[in-house]
Amino acid sequence: MKKTILSVALVMATGLLFAQKKTTTSATIAFDATTALDALPKAENKTVIASLDTKSGAVAFEAAVKSFAFANPKMQEHFNSAGWMNSDQFATATFKGSITNLKDVKFNKDGTYAVTVTGDLTIHGETKPVEAKGTITVSGKTIKTTSDFTVKLEDYKVNGGAIAAGKVSKEPKITVVAEFN
Amino acid sequence: MLKKYKKWLLALLVLLLAGGGVIWYMFTLKYDDTASVKADYTVNAMDFIKEFKQDMTAANKKYSEKIIVVNGTVSAIEMADTTANIKMVDTTNGAYIIFAFQQQHLQEAKAMKEGELVSIKGSCSNGAFSSILEAEYITFKRCAVNK
Repeated sequence: MKKTILSVALVMATGLLFAQKKTTTSATIAFDATTALDALPKAENKTVIASLDTKSGAVAFEAAVKSFAFANPKMQEHFNSAGWMNSDQFATATFKGSITNLKDVKFNKDGTYAVTVTGDLTIHGETKPVEAKGTITVSGKTIKTTSDFTVKLEDYKVNGGAIAAGKVSKEPKITVVAEFN
Repeated sequence: MLKKYKKWLLALLVLLLAGGGVIWYMFTLKYDDTASVKADYTVNAMDFIKEFKQDMTAANKKYSEKIIVVNGTVSAIEMADTTANIKMVDTTNGAYIIFAFQQQHLQEAKAMKEGELVSIKGSCSNGAFSSILEAEYITFKRCAVNK
């Protein structure tokens, strides 16, 4: 009887361990909108909230727009201004989606797995469907997710003279890294 | 006639140099080391969280992009990728403040210990409600230990 209870408890504990939604408040999102004319429009946000449900494959991110840190103060000011990201009105950028090939990922086995994530990306108050390739690296209890993709600024109604003038890339590269422990 | 033409040319040259100087200044401008910047406010971490929870809009208007010294206890040190963030959490409701450090002060964050009483100075980005965590959070960037 004791053995049965112990076995059931062990199975439940294992199930909970692998089914739980993992979260972090220190994911990073970097974007690079530099061009040959301007090396300044790039920034990194190191306090992004992210979640990964290892059972359902659901993935979500929340990034405070004002947390993108630029090296140049003027660039930071322009980025947050009403003419660009309008971060007073659209304070966060979000992503909600899921891993489409979850069956290929073994969260209980160390290794690096190629994944495809699809979902809705909301920037500047505009929501668009996106698909991105990424990797999941499992190492013990740590799960690291990374993804590189580009976004078309015009899809999110982010416009400005600097884009037309070639000083800001029309399709910035976005790099997302989230580590779940 | 030639003298007048020279004067205009000289004026144009001065204008071009001045314009170039302004552009060069703006392009090479960098943020100061936060450790040497005077703080706009000094707050207690839990009172600060309470203020945001009470009125997020007013608190954001007051503190966003201001340099603030936050005194509080380290709840967690989140080492991730190349960074180390410090968190102060209100354990009664899950609301938290998170501090991302300036590159030159990253070691100060890594040296902190959970439960340690610290004073951190940084640029308050803003406060928001997380639908992922179902809790309020306040983010800081370009932080340094307040000495």
